[in-house]
Amino acid sequence: MTADSHALATVEHSPVAGLAHDQRGGISNPVLGMLLFITSEVMFFAGLFAAYFNARASNAPWPPTEFEHTLEPIGLILVATIILVSSSFTCQWAVNAIKRNDRKMFIRNISVTLVLGVVFLLLQGYDYTVLYGEGLTMTAGPFGTTYFTLTGFHGAHVFGGVIMLAVVVYRGMAGQFSDRHHDLVEAVSLYWHFVDVVWIVLYSVLYWL
Amino acid sequence: MSTSPRQRPSLDVVLAGAAVVGLVVIVVAVLLSQAGKTLYPPAAATDSAIEIRKLYDIVFAFAVAIFLLVEGLIVWSVIRYRRKPTDTELPVQTHGHNLLEVTWTVIPTIIVIILFVFSFNTLNVVDAVSPTPDVKIRAVAAQFQWTFEYLDSSGQKLFTQTVSTKDNGGGMAVPVGRKIQVELHSNDVIHAFYVPRFLFKRDVVPGMTNRFDFTVNADEAGQTFRGQCAELCGTGHRIMLLDVVAMTQADYDAWVEQMIAQANATPAPQPSGEPSVTLELTAKIAEFDKHELEAPADKPFAITLDNQDVPAIEHDVDIHDADGNVVFDEPHTVGGTSQTYLYGPLPAGTYTFICSVHPFPAMTGTLTVK
Amino acid sequence: MATHALTPAVTAGYRGGLYEWLTTTDHKRIGILYVINSFAFFFIAGLMALAVRAELAQPGLQLLTDEHLYNQLFTMHATLMIFLFIIPMLAGLGNFAVPLQIGAPDMAFPRINALSFWMLPLAGVLLLAGFVTGGAAAAGWTSYPPLTEDRPLASTGSGQDLWIVGVVLIGTSSILGAINFLVTIFKMRAPGMTLFRMPIMVWTMLVTSVLVMLATPVITSALIMLFIDRNLGGNFFDPATGGNAVLYQNVFWFYSHPAVYVMVLPAMGIISEVLPVFSRKPLFGYKAFVFATAGIGALGFSVWAHHMFTTGAVFLPFFALITFMISVPTGVKMFNWVATLWGGQLTFSTPLIFAIGFLTMFLIGGINGAFSAAVPVDFALHDTYWVVAHLHYVLFGGSVFGVFAGVYYWFPKMTGRLLDEGLGKIHFVLMFVGFNLTFFPMHMLGLAGMPRRIADYASSAGWNDWNLAATIGGFMIGASFVPFLWNVFVSLRNGKVAGDDPWEGNTLEWATSSPPPPYNFDHLPEIRSERPVFDLRHGREAGGSH
Repeated sequence: MTADSHALATVEHSPVAGLAHDQRGGISNPVLGMLLFITSEVMFFAGLFAAYFNARASNAPWPPTEFEHTLEPIGLILVATIILVSSSFTCQWAVNAIKRNDRKMFIRNISVTLVLGVVFLLLQGYDYTVLYGEGLTMTAGPFGTTYFTLTGFHGAHVFGGVIMLAVVVYRGMAGQFSDRHHDLVEAVSLYWHFVDVVWIVLYSVLYWL
Repeated sequence: MSTSPRQRPSLDVVLAGAAVVGLVVIVVAVLLSQAGKTLYPPAAATDSAIEIRKLYDIVFAFAVAIFLLVEGLIVWSVIRYRRKPTDTELPVQTHGHNLLEVTWTVIPTIIVIILFVFSFNTLNVVDAVSPTPDVKIRAVAAQFQWTFEYLDSSGQKLFTQTVSTKDNGGGMAVPVGRKIQVELHSNDVIHAFYVPRFLFKRDVVPGMTNRFDFTVNADEAGQTFRGQCAELCGTGHRIMLLDVVAMTQADYDAWVEQMIAQANATPAPQPSGEPSVTLELTAKIAEFDKHELEAPADKPFAITLDNQDVPAIEHDVDIHDADGNVVFDEPHTVGGTSQTYLYGPLPAGTYTFICSVHPFPAMTGTLTVK
Repeated sequence: MATHALTPAVTAGYRGGLYEWLTTTDHKRIGILYVINSFAFFFIAGLMALAVRAELAQPGLQLLTDEHLYNQLFTMHATLMIFLFIIPMLAGLGNFAVPLQIGAPDMAFPRINALSFWMLPLAGVLLLAGFVTGGAAAAGWTSYPPLTEDRPLASTGSGQDLWIVGVVLIGTSSILGAINFLVTIFKMRAPGMTLFRMPIMVWTMLVTSVLVMLATPVITSALIMLFIDRNLGGNFFDPATGGNAVLYQNVFWFYSHPAVYVMVLPAMGIISEVLPVFSRKPLFGYKAFVFATAGIGALGFSVWAHHMFTTGAVFLPFFALITFMISVPTGVKMFNWVATLWGGQLTFSTPLIFAIGFLTMFLIGGINGAFSAAVPVDFALHDTYWVVAHLHYVLFGGSVFGVFAGVYYWFPKMTGRLLDEGLGKIHFVLMFVGFNLTFFPMHMLGLAGMPRRIADYASSAGWNDWNLAATIGGFMIGASFVPFLWNVFVSLRNGKVAGDDPWEGNTLEWATSSPPPPYNFDHLPEIRSERPVFDLRHGREAGGSH
């Protein structure tokens, strides 16, 4: 007696895509893949943070005297933080909307998320110019190097997220998502929340600690 | 599996047994022979080395035992359990055995814990650093030479031994039977201070000061222990040699006095007079461009050294006589500069010109004076 | 009841020319591409090793009068072997085998699978480009700063930067591959294949993928920080500007130690497939294998500083203890493999012969590693040829012999043809003898005091004879490839047709044609144990309870 190969049973596009919705239930393949990818990105930032804490422990005073008041937590960077955190909320509302097939709210919220992400990047870029003006650059000792490496790679990840959000907005406006088909939206939202959490940690460590 | 009555062991069993015995015999024979000596480190020259050697011997004993056991089982199985034409039925399909699993987990765990305890005890002896050593030396590693600064008890420099190997009249001299403390300092990249007869090495890391103690065994007086840098440091890594020269206390004291005197002495008057001839020599990537030079006898002569290496690499051109004695000891030339060395008149004969900073392998040659 | 002999509409043999191969997303073809690409880099890196050995055969600089070239050769030898041979080779064999062994039609993300592969030849070109742009990376595959900082007498030049970019690219390819494997294994197993019925090969690919996913990003961070130091005026690792040289070593080895398990666990998986099939017995202690593999993976994250024992910057007792402990699960595996052979009926086909070679070589490699775990002994042995002996016994004697066991084992499934047994045995003998002649003397050389990474040595040091022996052995290893390559070419054309199941295998790949159709299976046998095809062939009673 041979078992029927379920692999060929439910087919909509190709035999492999059908497996994305495993009959066993649970999360879909793209969402699981994104969670694993996020895990690997967490480890990447872990390496950078290890370097940061090591540099901090080996170099006193920290911040160096010439940069004692350069990284002020209350200011432009706080505005940027609030914007990024808000964008996580709008992102999640978008996911909830498409899950109940409310396409209009989905498009609206995901577009707002995209815009907020872009605004964050612009604010960060402007903040960099302010810091440069105060002498904090990549070459300014371990303090400068670690600051720009950590925030720079975070910004790169935000940029990647913005690209992904743009794709979601585009495909959403083309009507490609529904309550039954929205793996990409879920995956991108998970990535966006990850980017947000990394920023909260960065902001707390670099500015407050 | 065979169901015939057991009268004598089958051929397979005999062969398998013979192979296992053969394995044991070969291993034991190698260990007991001359060749077997090469499986051990060289004779330990210091107190720490003796402790490390004892630890090595313990690990070695376990290693041989485990190898014979496991390899013996493999050899046995491979010969005893070959499939024969009579094997048509499947063998017994054993999936596992919990007691065996526990046994071969617990026993190795006990063995490694034993080895760890031995290691930990030895480590505490080897890594102990005394606040009051008898001799303090700062070994300075740079691309690509060693220099040794001898310090007094408060850390002040008494003199510098710039020549790192014995063949060129240098080396890190130490008295036997006394506690020596070496402090490691790097001028540039990571190096490593390694002396095989000490069974020991320690990295020289810029930005860090590593220290270690050792006492050379009393019966090693008069011996020279070769060493070299053991952490890749660039294109001259292979020539970063050093020697540790063990002396009796008396010889060492005399040597120290002499070195201090030299360090404090007013420099000998430079040979004066016009050089009869000025020879040209170029040093690049720790090599001279010429290995044969000629100079006239009984007249002063000069050698202009063009050091084409980077500033951190220094060279000089010393002259040794045929017996290896240093005839002229010249100051170093910094990389990127030229210096003209004026030598006094030499009687006719064959001499060696050599860079005392990089004596091996290529910074030397023959100076024929006639 | 016999296995159905399948007659799929697509005939055996790969249809489609170059375009099909270049654009394929079929895991079987991608796996074969990985294998071919990996062998190509094995060859290139092997030639570099032979150049090194030719230089070291005798004292004096004979062939490579430029020590800088020597440093490039051993740096690129190691880099290519690690990142473009062994890791992708095992990923490729896993790519071919895993979906088949779990009864899936392909990997979870076939296009990302193809992307992962094609990043590799590109990265290889970048790495090798250093040779023509003024010098490849020459600071060892470990690339320690400050030697790799951008300053005179250190590694100025684009070779080191190309190296960084190439390795980061390969790391990205690995991470994507790992995600692919994990989603495939967790989500696409055929009905009845519970986790504890998966072949051990799949388990080792699972744990390896977890290691890759968690560890590889860390070396990416280390190399990016090094790049920033070299090119953007960064201050991470150069003490002259407030950085910390040992920090790099910690971040680097945090990846590079788990990486050695990435380089060996799948090979152990292959051994765990081959030994049962050719002993006609199940793998002894299946569950123990699973736990030992997971244990090695977990412990493997805690031992990285044993590569740094001589820096003076490590908490020695902790790392020594865990390093000793990691030999316990490894030993458990060794004993279980031997117990699989014990009481079996061994057929000495080439896959089994390589597997047995693996057992002996890996045993030696594991034992000589224990010496280094004893920290004071490591003070004598670190950075000497002892370590070169150890790493080659585990990575060559272990992983490479495991790779060949897998290649001989799965070649019939990949191509539909059997490799010639006679040539396989000649290959093994030449490689086995050559390997031991090359690397066993390195134990003696390390003990006698010969450091690593030196282009030349003094004749007075007494190392001449062992170096000459090692060089002769090295060329023997090179020669052993001739019968292997000849075998492959001849068998592809005229080899005996393999049929579905030439070895009387245990696992699902033997339940379909050789090569399998694009969608892998027309029918899947019932899966009630870790040996579904064995059960099909012998009926469940003979298989024992499960």
